[in-house]
Amino acid sequence: MKDVLEVNNLKKELGSFSLERLTFTLKEGCITGFIGVNGSGKTTTIKTILGLYPKDEGSITFFGKELEKSEYTIKNRIGVVLDEGYFYEEMTLKEMKSVIAPAYSDWDESVFLNYINRFKLKLNQKISTLSKGMRMKFAISIALSHHADILIMDEPTSGLDPLIRDELMEILLNFMEEEGKSVFFSTHITSDLDKVADMLILIDKGRIILNESKDELIERHAVVKGDNSLINESTRKLFVSLRQTAFGFEGITDKADVVCEEMNDVIIEKTSIENVMLAYIKEG
Amino acid sequence: MKIIIRNGSEQPLYQQIKEQIRGAILRQELKEGEKLPSIRSLANDLHVSVLTTKRVYEELETEGFIVTIVGKGSFVASENMEMLSEAKRHLIEKKLSEVWQMANTLGINKEELYSMMEIIFEEDDE
Amino acid sequence: MLLHLIKKDLILAKKYLLFMLIFAVVGPIFIYSRLGFDNGSFTSFLITVLFVEYIIYNMVSMQEDKYRGSALLCTTPHTRNGVIKAKYLFIFVIFIGCFLLYNLAAAIGASTGLTRLSINNVGIVLLIISVFFGILIPVQTKFGYEKTKYIFFIIIFLTPFILPAIIEWVQSTGININYDLAISQSIKAWIPFVIAVLMGVISMMISIQIFSKKNL
Repeated sequence: MKDVLEVNNLKKELGSFSLERLTFTLKEGCITGFIGVNGSGKTTTIKTILGLYPKDEGSITFFGKELEKSEYTIKNRIGVVLDEGYFYEEMTLKEMKSVIAPAYSDWDESVFLNYINRFKLKLNQKISTLSKGMRMKFAISIALSHHADILIMDEPTSGLDPLIRDELMEILLNFMEEEGKSVFFSTHITSDLDKVADMLILIDKGRIILNESKDELIERHAVVKGDNSLINESTRKLFVSLRQTAFGFEGITDKADVVCEEMNDVIIEKTSIENVMLAYIKEG
Repeated sequence: MKIIIRNGSEQPLYQQIKEQIRGAILRQELKEGEKLPSIRSLANDLHVSVLTTKRVYEELETEGFIVTIVGKGSFVASENMEMLSEAKRHLIEKKLSEVWQMANTLGINKEELYSMMEIIFEEDDE
Repeated sequence: MLLHLIKKDLILAKKYLLFMLIFAVVGPIFIYSRLGFDNGSFTSFLITVLFVEYIIYNMVSMQEDKYRGSALLCTTPHTRNGVIKAKYLFIFVIFIGCFLLYNLAAAIGASTGLTRLSINNVGIVLLIISVFFGILIPVQTKFGYEKTKYIFFIIIFLTPFILPAIIEWVQSTGININYDLAISQSIKAWIPFVIAVLMGVISMMISIQIFSKKNL
């Protein structure tokens, strides 16, 4: 699987917050979920790789080309959905589209109209009258109407109800059915990622904590519960996070198979992405 | 083709999927040369990562059960009957040694094992 | 492609556009009738252009600042440079519009004495515009709309008072150049125009530099 995006030692300082030598890649054909709590650096990272924040150090390479050198060709292949939309509120959908669409050499009007119909949007509606969900749908319509190869989204589902979120996830899966497509989106709603993510990248306080296949992540972590007597120096090391009460312990392990072998009389349960995220963030 | 995954099972996801596809091939539910779903659509349908289905297909290809052609997809490999039977035998042999090992640990000897097997065969015949 | 960004600015200025179009025709006639001195036509045109340019530009800047649409535009192939270049081009397009409408005004209001302008005079007006926006745009790009809006609003207000003095100064300087260079009259007339464009380009390059470092 090719790398469609390579980020190397990216450094960006923004007031009191900074990204620290961020290094990761996005694989072609994968949906990569970018998770972290508010303030962890998700938006900063995405804005920096899109060039909205000039980077302090490091390199950003799309499709093998450096962003700084091939800006025009690269941006032609990226579909963008930003959390705040950044639309001119006083404009109608049609007017906004007429400003953005001509920038792309592969703009496909029929695809765009298809999405508009599907989402039941009205083109001469003012953007300020749209609900958050419709706004996101409009952003998606634009992002997916120029045959982009990579879709980058910053918190596309925050503030939206489960039905719309599910719809969006369906759209992403459809998008991926064509060869050579990739998706990168940040969210703190990890349940969306349970459905669609192939890769997961966890960021906290400007640093990348995890970067692996979602299935492997879920399989190697587990919720473990048992009696406090089972916790000793060597077993403690098996846990990412551990909580002990008078009644027993509960923890998240990143070595589920080892726990299985070495700890008897424990309950081992499948964990969710959210639990894993919280385990690493709390301990960090 | 039926693939049902058990979450929380000790067997890794990719292994479960692989075995079920392999079983389907051995039982000839999937015919020689038949096209398999793309790794993406399989992943979407099973709600697993595309990296998992990719690994499944890669391993099945190494084991000789499927063939992947770039740009076209993955297909059930054309086996001659002998190879298929051999693979089938090999699988059973593996299971039998596991059973034998377990019997040993539990202290069940050969004779007991034989009689247990007899009972099972009888039940099956009925 | 820059044309679409200019279109964007026109859409943003939609509310005032009609009024400005009318003003661009009526304004010169009105101002001229009030002034009645030698360079009345020139001054009428100048004041009209300054007024129209500033009102429209301010309207657009205000909305850009409020909605931050340039952020999304910079993620598209328009790119940051395109966004800045379009700003300057927009000023120029408005200028051309005002010029054409002024000619219309001169045709309609010929009875009042409003005359067509020479290339030299048009160039000087463009030069003044160029100086004004050549400073305003980079400053605004660097410090943002909020901080700069009052400064330039005040300058605009002072213009009618300062202008006569500036005009005299510019005219006298122009005459000096005439004697020094001894080029043909028709080419000399284009000098202010050329300088204006040059200044615009230099300012644009500065703005591009400033904008490239901005966090959107």
